Amino acid sequence: MQGTAAPALSAMMLAVAFELGAFLDENATELAHALVRTLKVSVIAIAGAFVIGAVLGAARAHRVPVISQLAAVYVEVIRNTPILVQIFFIFFGLPQLANVEFVGVRLEFLRFDAFTAGWLAVMIWGGAFNTENFRAGFEAVPYRYREAGLALGFGRVRTFLNVTLPIGGRIALPSSINTYISVLKNTSLLYVIAYDELTSTALQINALTLRTLETFFVLGVVYLALVWTLSALIRLLEGHLALPESH
Amino acid sequence: MLAVTIPDWVEPVARYIFEVGIPNTLRIAAISLVAATTIGVLLGTLLTIRFLPSRALIRLYIEVWRGLPILVTVFMIYLALPAFTLRLEFKPLTAAAIGLSLWGSAQIAEATRGAIQSIPREQHEAAAALGFGWVGRHAFVILPQALRRLLPPLVSLLVNIIQNTTIAQVIGAPEVLETAERSVERIASEPPAGTGEIHAFEIYGAVMVVFFLISFPLTRLAAYLERRLV
Repeated sequence: MQGTAAPALSAMMLAVAFELGAFLDENATELAHALVRTLKVSVIAIAGAFVIGAVLGAARAHRVPVISQLAAVYVEVIRNTPILVQIFFIFFGLPQLANVEFVGVRLEFLRFDAFTAGWLAVMIWGGAFNTENFRAGFEAVPYRYREAGLALGFGRVRTFLNVTLPIGGRIALPSSINTYISVLKNTSLLYVIAYDELTSTALQINALTLRTLETFFVLGVVYLALVWTLSALIRLLEGHLALPESH
Repeated sequence: MLAVTIPDWVEPVARYIFEVGIPNTLRIAAISLVAATTIGVLLGTLLTIRFLPSRALIRLYIEVWRGLPILVTVFMIYLALPAFTLRLEFKPLTAAAIGLSLWGSAQIAEATRGAIQSIPREQHEAAAALGFGWVGRHAFVILPQALRRLLPPLVSLLVNIIQNTTIAQVIGAPEVLETAERSVERIASEPPAGTGEIHAFEIYGAVMVVFFLISFPLTRLAAYLERRLV
């Protein structure tokens, strides 16, 4: 049993390896373009999620009235509903309101193309998780640090910018990078709104070439390379940006 | 008097989602939760053994299934496995459950490793002194204590699995999102099947509400357990 299975298996692996070269010759350019689109959506969404997280996280940590409560609702709604349903809602649900007139304004802007709906959906999702990351980070900054800032004559905003943000931001860094990794992985769901990122493109190539094994091998390798690189970055940054006190 | 009238199209949609969608969603979630917990606790425990080859293999398992988008994993199972051999052809529901189990077990394996390593050395030594072997030590002394710390991540996993069951929609398994999508399309079609109207906003909004009502109590529970048990 063992004797017959092993050569058969290695022959199969060889066949896969052999086809891989031809597969890449034909499809590498298209996959590279798709990778660029995945990265484009991810970068926009991550930048947006960073801003949302820092602003709303600060409002949550400092209990800014009204904004803090609204941010809490936003965070709970996004965290407790599936991102795939959020994408459906934004891309298929919201355009239904595009013809409605609301206080004299036609809501035409609610009709998105796949690219806009794509980065918007993953950004809104990442922003909610990042709000929690930054809130926890800002709340972890010892009160005496802020007192010291205030004693030096900084106002509340300047104390936040000069003391709480740099220290709390570092504390929040590992968890927020984890959120960015999830944002990158979630761009694969934009397949459902036919945005031509990696997963959509791979499935199109699969349908055309029927080279299923090669397609999914390459797709998996590309995603793992991206995700593992970002995770390695966390470990690298953790050493570099650790607070001096914790050394 | 303000009379709230429910439009005619609502009832059959709600019935379809609740009678077909919800049971399938719960089925996928239940299978995935049990499989992910069993495999995850086992792999996580084995990961604490200082034996390089087994650790390297389990590490690889964890990093691969945690690193891949779940959608890609599900496509691999649904489309790529049958390309090897037709015996590995699965129904959409099963393929989605397998994909979620792989991803969930990787999460739980990592959490289990952490929970076991947080149990003090003395517990291992005391159990060994009482004559327990490796299996008995873990089954009767270490894991029962580690399980307490594992409870919050397990509840979080349940929430994540329930939400990620919607990924099954992409390969056509009739869970909540798929039944909602079919309803939107049916209503949008010409009479007699539909009315030609579009109700995507209401239906997908309702799906969000359904998931929120299931998830919110569970995330509260996870936060409560986190405060109580850790």
